[in-house]
Amino acid sequence: MSRTVADIVVFTCNWDGLSCIEAAAQSRLNYPPSVKVVRVSCLSRVHSGLILKAFELGAGGVMLLGCESDSCYYEKEDRFNVKEYEKTRGVLGLLGLGTDRLRLARLPRGDGDSFVKQVTNFIAEMEQADNRIEMRNV
Amino acid sequence: MFNAKQEIKDTRIHLCLDCGKCTVVCPVARYNPEFNPRLIVQRNIEQKNRNFQDEAIWSCLNCYMCLERCNYRVEFPEFIRILRTEALSKGTQIQCTHGGSLQALMHLMAGENLRQERLCWLPPGIKLSEQYDAVFFIGCAPYFDIMFGDLEVNTLEGVKGAMRLLNRAQIPFNLLVNERCCGRDLLLQGDKEGFMALAQANMDEFNRLGVKKIITACPECYYSLKVDYPKMLGSTVAEVVYWTEVIAPLLGSGKLYLGRLKEKAIYHDPCTLGRGLRIFDSPRQILCAVDGLELVEMEQSREKALCCGASSWVYCGAANRQIQDERLAQAEATGAGVLVTSCPKCQIHLKCAQRNRNGKMPKIDIQDLAGLAARSLETRR
Repeated sequence: MSRTVADIVVFTCNWDGLSCIEAAAQSRLNYPPSVKVVRVSCLSRVHSGLILKAFELGAGGVMLLGCESDSCYYEKEDRFNVKEYEKTRGVLGLLGLGTDRLRLARLPRGDGDSFVKQVTNFIAEMEQADNRIEMRNV
Repeated sequence: MFNAKQEIKDTRIHLCLDCGKCTVVCPVARYNPEFNPRLIVQRNIEQKNRNFQDEAIWSCLNCYMCLERCNYRVEFPEFIRILRTEALSKGTQIQCTHGGSLQALMHLMAGENLRQERLCWLPPGIKLSEQYDAVFFIGCAPYFDIMFGDLEVNTLEGVKGAMRLLNRAQIPFNLLVNERCCGRDLLLQGDKEGFMALAQANMDEFNRLGVKKIITACPECYYSLKVDYPKMLGSTVAEVVYWTEVIAPLLGSGKLYLGRLKEKAIYHDPCTLGRGLRIFDSPRQILCAVDGLELVEMEQSREKALCCGASSWVYCGAANRQIQDERLAQAEATGAGVLVTSCPKCQIHLKCAQRNRNGKMPKIDIQDLAGLAARSLETRR
């Protein structure tokens, strides 16, 4: 199992999250092609099993992209996905992969710019973290 | 590849008389008529008749109840394990509980370049020895406490408690910084490859550090290190002991004393520890050594103890819930205030069942044996 920073899995909700990705495509904004987008109905569908599975398959980082807290299409609150997010971060910390490998991003509808900015920042941070790990191993 | 034919022969399944005692005592068969150990043997004994889509093989709890009753000690749980391994190799999908997160976690732990940071919870008061002659094998408790935080499980309390007791008894031990899951759940669900990766990684670590004695906190780790590792890896592991077996003799001989706790408690025998490895007395001796603690027994205890209702993170359905409900009802019938168990998984499963009993308020507190025993120490300085 080789873990490369380039592989970032983005779980996005079908609503505001996906609209950001589509807006980025429509405005022809570039982001690395290794970003794999998985569309789900709502971020509450994404539990720790799916996130850990992504890491098991070799993802370098996972981003959860969803609506802003008060504009979820299904629920009035975001308790469930925050709970799963915190839990998985804890597990990643114990595994020594680092809690930062999982990120929760909430964006307003159609904000392609912010999505591209967030995902490229995320990749840069993952690269730095990997360099640190390599330094530690030398 | 594994030699299924020889493995099946080793289970003595050909001695099965078709008497059906296994089915009578099987807790799953009582609630799920589809699951019938006797018929499963009949259907699957010939390789050509095996149907790998057969869902029944995933319901076995590996509770050893059938093995306990069988006159020829036919190893039915082992037979099921072999069938599962075969089914997985034929591409059958398993129904993993908890969204497959535990499976993913175990596979991640088998990673080669893994450098875990799993000891961040270690309390400052615990004394560790410099050498690695004796090692305390923590198990997956740090992970469980995070994963099942919403059930308010506190399996680390048991680990910390066992370490405090060992410290108090002046038994030296060290911890492995990069200890991995023992892999027993993967083995039981038929993922032999995953198990071997974890087992080999742990074995390499033991050999590298020259470990001579391993004290385990979790019954499943104990079984795995003591029985499965030598069998599957073909090499001897260091001496493996369960922590109660170390502490109980010291209590008996007066070298160690526990404190006082006013509780009425029952002990729930974990299947792996009880029927699997015949440790029934030492946990009870520890409980009896707590001053003021009244130990009562449930209707089914010791060799006849009912399983906590789920195992190896596969297949949890209505029958499992009913078994758990029955166990909790047995516990409540004793009028005890605390149910004590020494297995973190029993704690997780029973707490989960308690939470989902149709709005009934939990009447009994579920605690870890080591945590409880160590708590009593606080009353004695």
